[in-house]
This record gives sequence, C-alpha cells and structure tokens, in this order.
Amino acid sequence: MPYKKLRIEIANRVGYVYLNSGARFNKLSITTIRELKRAFTQVDGDDSIGAVVLSGYPGESFAVGADIGQMVNFSSEEAFHFAELGQSLFDRIESCSKPVIGALNGITMGGGCDLAMSCDFRIARDTLQIAHPGARLGIITGFCGTRKLPRIVGKNFAREIFMSSDPYGAQDALRMGLVDRVYSTEEFWPRVVTTAEQIARHPLAALSAAKRLINAAEDTDLRTGCLLEREAATHLNTPFG
Amino acid sequence: MPDKLCTIQSKIDGIAIVTVSGSPAVATVELLLSLQRRFATLAGDDHIRGVLLTGTPQGFCCCQRVQNCTLNESARLSSLGQQVMFALEKLGKPCLTVIEQRCTDLGLELALASDFIIAGQGASFGFPAIADGMIPFCGGSQRLARLVGKAKTKEIMFTGDTIDGEEAYRIGLVNRLYPSGEALPRAEELLAHICTRSPSAIRIGGEVVNAGYDIDLATACLLERDAFALCFSRFDQREGMQAFLDKRQPQFSGE
Repeated sequence: MPYKKLRIEIANRVGYVYLNSGARFNKLSITTIRELKRAFTQVDGDDSIGAVVLSGYPGESFAVGADIGQMVNFSSEEAFHFAELGQSLFDRIESCSKPVIGALNGITMGGGCDLAMSCDFRIARDTLQIAHPGARLGIITGFCGTRKLPRIVGKNFAREIFMSSDPYGAQDALRMGLVDRVYSTEEFWPRVVTTAEQIARHPLAALSAAKRLINAAEDTDLRTGCLLEREAATHLNTPFG
Repeated sequence: MPDKLCTIQSKIDGIAIVTVSGSPAVATVELLLSLQRRFATLAGDDHIRGVLLTGTPQGFCCCQRVQNCTLNESARLSSLGQQVMFALEKLGKPCLTVIEQRCTDLGLELALASDFIIAGQGASFGFPAIADGMIPFCGGSQRLARLVGKAKTKEIMFTGDTIDGEEAYRIGLVNRLYPSGEALPRAEELLAHICTRSPSAIRIGGEVVNAGYDIDLATACLLERDAFALCFSRFDQREGMQAFLDKRQPQFSGE
C-alpha cells in the first residue's frame, strides 16, 4: 500500500523516512502516525538498511502535534486512544533494531518533539524551533514526553520547557542536550547523510545490540545491565558459537 | 518571630515572592518549621498562582550548622527537612528560585526542591558543611545527582568548594544566568509569563514528570496516557485549544 503522508528512500544502506505531508507543517494525525508505524516496520525488516534517518527535510517543519481543530473536541476516551496510538509508534521506533537518527530540519513542536525524542539521537539545523506548547493549550503531552524529556535534558530544563510552552532555538536546545549536534543550513543535510552512512557501514548485529543495551541501561540497575552486556558481547564475539 | 526569617509578599498578578533570608543565628529546625508553615499557606491560597523563592543581600536560607544532636534528634531533623522539601515539590504551582548570593547547604537543598533555579553572576553554590562532617539531609544529595550527574555531585560534595554562577550554568544546575542584579526582575517576568499558561496542565504535568522520573519507561508512559486523557475532561483544554484556533489569549481557570 503506498504512503500518503511520507516517503521512503534507500541509499548507501541508509533508509530515509521523509515526513512529507505536502502541507507547511507535518501534523501527526492518526493517518500519519499509522503510516509511520508501517514505515518503521518496513525499514526494520529490510536487510539492505543499516541505519534510518527520520526527517521533514527539505520542508519547513520536522513535525508538529495533531490538528488542534480536531483535538479541541476530543473526549477523554478519544484522547486516551490517541495517546495509546502515539505511544505505540514511539515504542516501535525505540524497538527498531537499527539506529534511528532524528534530523530536525525546522519546526518541531508538541507531539513532533516527542517523535524527535523517540529517535536515538538528534541532529538539528540551526533554524530549529522546538517547543512543547501543551501548557498553552491546557494539556500535557501524551506521547511519552513527560518521561523522555526529563531523562534527556534533566528535570529542571524539562519543567522550564513544559511550563513556559515557548519555542527554543538550536543553540538553547544544544546547551540543554535536547539535540546532539547543530549545523548551518548549508551543512545540515550533507552532515546528516555522512553520519548516517558512517553508522550504516558498521555491522548491524553490533549496532542492534548496542541500541538495546543503551535503552535497557535506563531501566535496569548496573549489575543487571552488566550481565546483559556480557551476554550480548559474548554472543557477538562468537558469531558461529 | 521566626516567621521574619521567611516572608511572603503577594502581588496582584498572583505571584508570591517568598524571601527566605534566614539568619546565621537561627536553629535549623526553626527555619524548617517556618518554611513548612509558609508552604502550607502558599498551597492553600487560590489567589497565588506562582511562587518565587529569593533571599536578601545577607543570604539565602541561612541557619546555624547542625551540631551536637543526639541520633534521634538528627533523624527527626532529617525527616522534617525531607517533608518540607517534598511539600515544596507538591505545591502544585510553578516555583522558581532566584539566587544572587551564596546558596549553600540548606539553601542549596531548598533551591534544588523548586522547579528550577535562575541565578545572577555573583551567585555561588555548594555543600561546604562537609568540612564539619555534615552531608545534606533534606534530599539534596539525591536531587543534585539526578540534576547534574553523579561525578559533578561527588566533586562538589567531597571538596566542599562552592562553584560560581558561570560554572553552575555550564553544568545545568541553573537554567538561566543573568548579570548581577538582573536575575530577580527577569525571573519575575518569566514566572508571570508561565502564569498565563494553564494551571491545571502545569500541575498535572509537574506531577507526572516527578512520578515518572524514577520508574521504568513503560509504567511512566501508562501514567502519562491516563493523565493526558484526564486533561480532555477539563475546562483548560477546551479554552486553550479554542483560544489557539481563535488566535486570542486563553483565559484559564485551572479547572
């Protein structure tokens, strides 16, 4: 089935998932979320792909939340199911066996910010505007952001971002640790491609094991994490054992 | 008399400025009890939408060093201190700390229990009481380690040295740093701005952030999903989204 809201390209072992709604802002509608889930299942299962880039390049926005015109009339029941759907997408991205780079090409707001945080790390263009405007709209975020943002930038910056609801630029995002690298408009895409291709050249089994272990580090005590690491490393070192 | 150590000035825009000077002559327990009463007042007053903790040029949250306690007294003091800091975290209203001077020991513990810290360049932070054989007892070691990492926390606690505003800003202990004397007005501006946002979203969001931080991702996400759904049965959600669509300023009720 073709995609309506996104496009997938594969080059040099990198799978590019382009959010491509055709509108100025890539809204995370129910259709877009479902297509993203399908896209990540597809790239995860494609052996010719070693790393994934998620981006709205060359558009103006990476992603923004759902359509406010629709959400304004959500019942609690509908909001519950919407959060559940969004969270299942982010779980799909986190559990994708390949590294996923968030290439933040521009406006990244609300659900779009949570989407960026489900990627393994984030590279931003210097025109980035990133915000969590929930408190301005009378809601909290529902796509895992209340847990992920404090873990990425620390509780205090997370509270400032949530409470102010204001957009932050690329340099602030870099200082807080919300994005990992910032490049100028000219440099941005070439650097995303080089980084992704560099990662995709490494053996996939090692990349997958590293991703699983680092994700597990968040939720396990050190000793259990070390046991997991030993098992994974032993397995990798003896590919025919 | 002890409540002079900690005074509340309420402003018409719903912001309460809490000046916690303390005094080098006051016993720690007196200052903690004073803070406890103040936080109960702030939590119960619906006219207060946001809180700013600040000190005086003489200091921020100063008190006598704890000395010569029995084991029981010391344990009771730590329980009280931790309750007071949890009470601040559970205020349900945004609470920023402004530091223009020394912020050490109990002062740093208090600042760490607020939502975040804004500092002037002349600020300094640390736990110098280690020199007298004391460690933080109101949750400060746990909050600092979660905020700036274990290594920085150990460096600060083991040496007992204070770090200056620039260093505190660099390691993420303070969110914003301003030239000396400008931190208070800038913090007031930011808090007034935050107070135009939905009080219920801020309260629920703060609670979910705190509750989710120390548990596993899957459970934290369940909690968030339910809290997110709850927002959609409240006035603030309809008002916030309708105002966005109408391109006007929302009038939140906190309901």
